[in-house]
Amino acid sequence: MHFVVLTELGTVVLEGGKVVKSFAFEQPAADFVKAKSGQYDHDDLISFLRGMNAGFLLNDDSFLKTLKKESLDVHHMDEKQMDEIQATKPQLLVDAGFAKNESDAMAKLRDFALQLSSARVTEISQSPDLHISQSIKALDEMDVMINGLSSRLREWYGLHFPELDNIIDSINGYAQIVMAGKREDLSTKVYEDAGFPESKVQMLSVIQEKSKGGEISKENLAIVQSIANQILEMAKMRKRIEDHIETEMNTIAPNVAAILGTAVGARILAKSGSLKKMATLPASTIQVLGAEKALFRALKTGTQPPKHGILFQHPLVHAAPRWQRGKMARAIASKAAIAARVDVYGAGLNQTLLEKLNVRVAEIGEKYKEAPERPPQPQIMERRRDDFRRRDNFRSRDGKTHDSFRPRQSFRSRDDRLRDDRPRDGFRPRENFRSRDDRPQGEFRQNEGFRPREDRPRDGFKSRGDSRPRDGYRPRGESGSGGPRREFRGDGNKRKKFGRKRF
Amino acid sequence: MEEKDSEIFWLRVDGQKRLATINYVEGNRVYGEKLVKKSGVEYRIWDPFRSKLAAALTIGLEVFPIKQGAKVLYLGASTGTTVSHVSDIVDYNGIIFAVEHSSRVARDFLDRVASLRKNITPILHDAKHPEQYFSVYGKVDVVYSDIAQPDQTEIAISNCQMFLKDGGYLFLVIKTRSIDVTQQPKKTIENEIKKLHSNFSVIQNIDLEPYDKDHAMVVAKYHSRG
Repeated sequence: MHFVVLTELGTVVLEGGKVVKSFAFEQPAADFVKAKSGQYDHDDLISFLRGMNAGFLLNDDSFLKTLKKESLDVHHMDEKQMDEIQATKPQLLVDAGFAKNESDAMAKLRDFALQLSSARVTEISQSPDLHISQSIKALDEMDVMINGLSSRLREWYGLHFPELDNIIDSINGYAQIVMAGKREDLSTKVYEDAGFPESKVQMLSVIQEKSKGGEISKENLAIVQSIANQILEMAKMRKRIEDHIETEMNTIAPNVAAILGTAVGARILAKSGSLKKMATLPASTIQVLGAEKALFRALKTGTQPPKHGILFQHPLVHAAPRWQRGKMARAIASKAAIAARVDVYGAGLNQTLLEKLNVRVAEIGEKYKEAPERPPQPQIMERRRDDFRRRDNFRSRDGKTHDSFRPRQSFRSRDDRLRDDRPRDGFRPRENFRSRDDRPQGEFRQNEGFRPREDRPRDGFKSRGDSRPRDGYRPRGESGSGGPRREFRGDGNKRKKFGRKRF
Repeated sequence: MEEKDSEIFWLRVDGQKRLATINYVEGNRVYGEKLVKKSGVEYRIWDPFRSKLAAALTIGLEVFPIKQGAKVLYLGASTGTTVSHVSDIVDYNGIIFAVEHSSRVARDFLDRVASLRKNITPILHDAKHPEQYFSVYGKVDVVYSDIAQPDQTEIAISNCQMFLKDGGYLFLVIKTRSIDVTQQPKKTIENEIKKLHSNFSVIQNIDLEPYDKDHAMVVAKYHSRG
């Protein structure tokens, strides 16, 4: 029997442990990959083997398949023979003439590994879905920055013209007014240029006259104006990123985009790691992606599992009445899972997916029109003060929306449908702004410190490697993450009441 | 104040005893660690909070088969923090086959560690399929496994069966939270150790507190026919 061995550096034909013939790869890393995937041209080897007219034992499955197609008498060698080749590989490479001596062979093998590994990194880094996930993360970070700077701008310019804050919702308009300069420099033209309707322009002109604000020095105004300028620039940038995500999603994952919308789709894609990984996820995982905290709490303590994670931002889930949301999320998640698979392995936009989803959505709306009666809430007799579960009870037990999934107002702007009937600039919810500086300072820090360690999303759930915390990204919708999101969550009262009880 | 313990050193730095290895690539820092020069030799301080192997060493290991010239199969190389110290230890005559699946961390690993250290062979591959590794040859003395998968123990065992020599050692980091979040960590560790019994004799089981929570390091000796 003859052995035919596929090595990293070439193919070798052995007879009784002696090398009969060897064929070196020209570019080891690239050629080896081709050989493994059955695309390498083994012409020389094949004609040589034909001439021998004997049976051959091979060491590799895909290599075996390639040669079998050439109707050669080939079989897989047994484990013992494989082990032997594996153990003497450096020597084999020397005998085959691929290397000068054993240490040269080892160095060549290492070079090969470096090349191949680098090539794989390059290949994976090129995939367009990684760029989508970077884009959506950039978009979210943009939002945080715009939110923070906007509130600062309103506070600061508010010293000079406090009334403006209450009248103007859109931060774009506000920033444009600030750019015009001091209160007394503001003319109706400024307001009109900023795109306000007639009625508002008149109101502004009146209020401007009797403002309670103090004087602002030239130096201060200059800084405030440069902040305003930054905000306007960032808003432009944000729009650009948003458009970019939309076009990218529609070309790379048209089905996911159709089912989930571009922004939500991109977020789920980013969370899963890549489109391929998303295609391997079960629908149930997609449904709760982004709600790891609640999910693991449910697994651990037996409370109600989350109904939706990132999916809550989907307009269908979001707009549905409370008792329908879980069903909606499940229906959407199942179609999204299929959509991801179509995007990876199929081609083009599949219309039936969306149609079927719409049928199901209509069915849910029809079937569960009325709110179900809720069973009486279980009373918890003993409550320890330091029990972290306790602070979560109020959300999951009363059936209300989980606090962690409350959408920021700004989500709305990302969806076209909602934006149409809500013509406001969506960087932030208005109401919370004012309370920002009134908030007790300590509360923030305590929130961060309170998070018990084992309550973080687990290694096992995270998509492997790619979502390490080093990039500083925290999934939206995770409460207790302490980041700047918290203050925009909108229900200031609840939080304060709660805070007092707790700390 | 140096105490020699194979290739691992205890240096007194700023009044504290710190674990260190001799720098294989002089002047090179891998992850911002401290470099200390003592009588002409450059050492790299090894932080037990960053590396589970260092944590295990600090807590106390009964055997430490990673010696000069050792061959090591390292699963879950990540960005190469621990791998770089293992590379210091095995030195010129040793070889480390470092397996890592995620391309994101492999990128850093290749740049910072693998390309500079000649004793490391990087293998960008899923540890679930050891039969498809490239550039591996012969049997290794030690398999070190630090992977966050629910079936991490099974993966480590299948790698040992392919590449670990008879009488070689397995260092298995058990990440209880990656296996089952609902289970008590102690229980998970017990279950995982049971899986080792057919082929291994367990030498030591170290709880990595306070350096790593809910992690354990199991050291076991391999018997290929058992």
